Amino acid sequence: MDINRRQVLWAGGAMGAAALLAACSSGDGGTTDGKAGGDGAPKNGGTLRIGALGRAGAITRDPHGTQANESDYLVIALVFDTLAMPGAKTNTVPRLAASWEPSADLRTWRFKLAEGAAFHDGTPVTAEDVVWSLRRLRATPSGAARLPGVKAPESITADGAGTVVIVSDYANADFPLLTRLATFVMKKDTPDNALDKAPGTGPFMLDWYRGGNARLVRNDKWYGGTVRLDAIEVTMFETPQAMANALLAGQIDVASNAGAVAARTAATRKDIQVLRRPDDMAMPIVMRTAAGSPFADPRVREAMRLVVDRDAMVKQVLSGYGTVANDIMGTGDPAYAKDVPQRERDLEKARKLLAEANFDLSRTYSLVTTEDVSGLAESATLFANQAREAGIKVEVVKQESGAFWDKTWKTGDLYTTYWGTNDSVVFFASKTMVSEAGQNEAGWNDPAFDAAYRKATATADEKERAAALKELQQIEHERSGYLLWGMADGIDLAVAKVRGLPTLPGYGRVQLEHAWLA
Amino acid sequence: MAGLSRTAREPAPAAPAATGAAAAARRVRPLRRLAAAVARRALMLVLLLALVFAAVELLPGDAASASSERGDSAADVEARRHLLGLDRPVWERFADWMTALPTGDLGTGARGQKVTDLLADPLPNTLLLGGTAFLLTVLASLALGCWAACRPGRLADRIVSHTATAAFAVPEFVVSVGLLLVLALWSGLLPAVTLTGPDGAPDSWTMLVMPVLALVIPQTGWNTRIVRGALADQARTPHVEAAHLDGLPARRIVLRHALPGAVPAIATGIATSTGMLLGGAVVVETLFNYPGIGSVLASAVSGRDTPLIAGVVACAGAAISLVLLAADLLRDGILGDHP
Repeated sequence: MDINRRQVLWAGGAMGAAALLAACSSGDGGTTDGKAGGDGAPKNGGTLRIGALGRAGAITRDPHGTQANESDYLVIALVFDTLAMPGAKTNTVPRLAASWEPSADLRTWRFKLAEGAAFHDGTPVTAEDVVWSLRRLRATPSGAARLPGVKAPESITADGAGTVVIVSDYANADFPLLTRLATFVMKKDTPDNALDKAPGTGPFMLDWYRGGNARLVRNDKWYGGTVRLDAIEVTMFETPQAMANALLAGQIDVASNAGAVAARTAATRKDIQVLRRPDDMAMPIVMRTAAGSPFADPRVREAMRLVVDRDAMVKQVLSGYGTVANDIMGTGDPAYAKDVPQRERDLEKARKLLAEANFDLSRTYSLVTTEDVSGLAESATLFANQAREAGIKVEVVKQESGAFWDKTWKTGDLYTTYWGTNDSVVFFASKTMVSEAGQNEAGWNDPAFDAAYRKATATADEKERAAALKELQQIEHERSGYLLWGMADGIDLAVAKVRGLPTLPGYGRVQLEHAWLA
Repeated sequence: MAGLSRTAREPAPAAPAATGAAAAARRVRPLRRLAAAVARRALMLVLLLALVFAAVELLPGDAASASSERGDSAADVEARRHLLGLDRPVWERFADWMTALPTGDLGTGARGQKVTDLLADPLPNTLLLGGTAFLLTVLASLALGCWAACRPGRLADRIVSHTATAAFAVPEFVVSVGLLLVLALWSGLLPAVTLTGPDGAPDSWTMLVMPVLALVIPQTGWNTRIVRGALADQARTPHVEAAHLDGLPARRIVLRHALPGAVPAIATGIATSTGMLLGGAVVVETLFNYPGIGSVLASAVSGRDTPLIAGVVACAGAAISLVLLAADLLRDGILGDHP
């Protein structure tokens, strides 16, 4: 498409522009102190102007719809509450549900609602509202994927006014993980045509919304703690470049998820904070493990993982805004196995493994990629170059997004994929690696892995569970279909006066309830 | 948008020369001609819309897969497909969409929003942007063209001609980046991007300046050349040469004697700019985050959202067709009297 080529050129232009700009501003001597620390007591008041990515044609107001726009998700997440939300010390922390408790068989989960939680119109939240909302979510076309193992309506019930009981089809020690991202609670029986004005229970109330842009004002009676900001103004941006320009020109205070290119241009400006949220995006290479694939032999897959130069990938593909990874998905999980030795580049060993496996080095292998997320196609190209150094001929094939998801995903022998939720090892195991997983991207079927997964999800005992998780990650590191070379940081840009911005990766970027202006 | 500009650039069929018909026929003719011109443009638009439906069909994936989530099973996507009516043949969907069109119903987008709602704010914004740019383009190119024509062959004429060519050769995005650097990021004179208020329109008129300029500069280059060329052609006609020999002042000759005859050529040239203006608007809107139909179109294409794409094309196509029609009529009116 014509516009894409132009956008690429534009990105170049913007980078040059910002470099010049940086040269100018540093010449001025810098009047700002440039301190981005969160020192000092939080202050109340002020309006935070935040930019988020989104496109006018993809606008969604339904909290249970498919939100393609980060701007829409941001607005929805500030107005409505989910039962749980992503956390730092444990990957799932309470929100509208203050606590939860499983039955002995880990199938029945009881969520207790937070004391004093009320809708913006003053009505208290009841279990009936939550049950109705969860059932509504389950009934959407994506409901089965969002609440896997939950049958609606019979599996979601209320127990009194303050407790919701959800029954899973199978034992699931990580069940609350499922309630973090989409379980927005609305009032019972909110009609579909009143969604845009439906009151939520969140830290902010909707003042107005129009064409992707919105203004939100503080909910003084929020049950979740003190909210400092008076208001948040959300502006939708079609491109990160335009968003970064708005920030540089002082039209917005925060550019949410602006990306590495914008960060590089802003890094030289002392009055702009570059905030990194680690483990935001995984861009692994998928090697098909099923019979018939050239990568079916685990030795070949290990060789490929030894071929990649991880430091170079992070430096060049992510402009350094990221960290090296160790072929285990879910790097942000507090239970991530940090003690598995880091795999390093070893061409010697790779060649030996390939020879042992009789890998055909005369063939050229296609590595299919897309431009869906920034850096993805670049990662494929750089990997192809690195593989050539080991004598493996890899040719990068760029596919248009629609064609990729239609034809290559889950069936291709060698392709790049990406994932934006990276704080759970079990999430990936259940979604993409256990043999029956609906999104088994590499067609992996490993009985030992399956056993470790089932043990991890069906065990309530913390110690046993930790051991199972450790084993699961060890197997994944050794022989899964993934080559995970690194993790991209999520990058927010902000002007100096903004404090208390989100630190968590992925959907954690919307946690603005603790933000304040110095 | 490529389809649109192609239609727009296509020269309108030459009007049949009047052949001294009977007086009665002469009275009916303008009406009939108007009807024929409208019908021609309308037919073109319908064909274009059919092309849009067919083209989206040929793209890999569809609205159901594009709007689904990653975990959705094949059955979930199929259910979504049924929900969106995508399991019906494309000609049937096209026929349905076309028959609803006269009532002002543009269908429902892939995310369940009414297309008319999705376009309610962006379309007026784009028309404001395109219309302002169009008006300024007309004024600037007429002024520059006439000014140069008053000084044929002199330095000013040569400078205008060469600058105009250079301006037309520079793509909108280059102009935009230049403007952005100088007027916003360096000097801080103008806002870098457009922010939108609760009324769905740009917060301040200053936000329109750069997007409009980014469109006007290349198009003025193009149209100045056309105006200048048309006036040069007129300068060689006997009545203009006679005026020249009579010793009338150059300005009077250009404005009173040459310009009226040059209007048909100028009108056609400027009308074809409409397509390029709207095509350029897609790029310019993206760069300045201007809330117009360009952004809607880009996301609609990636979302395979046929009704939304068709809605944008219908609106943009109608606007272009109206301008082309006006140019046709203007030319017919003038040439009809002076065959």
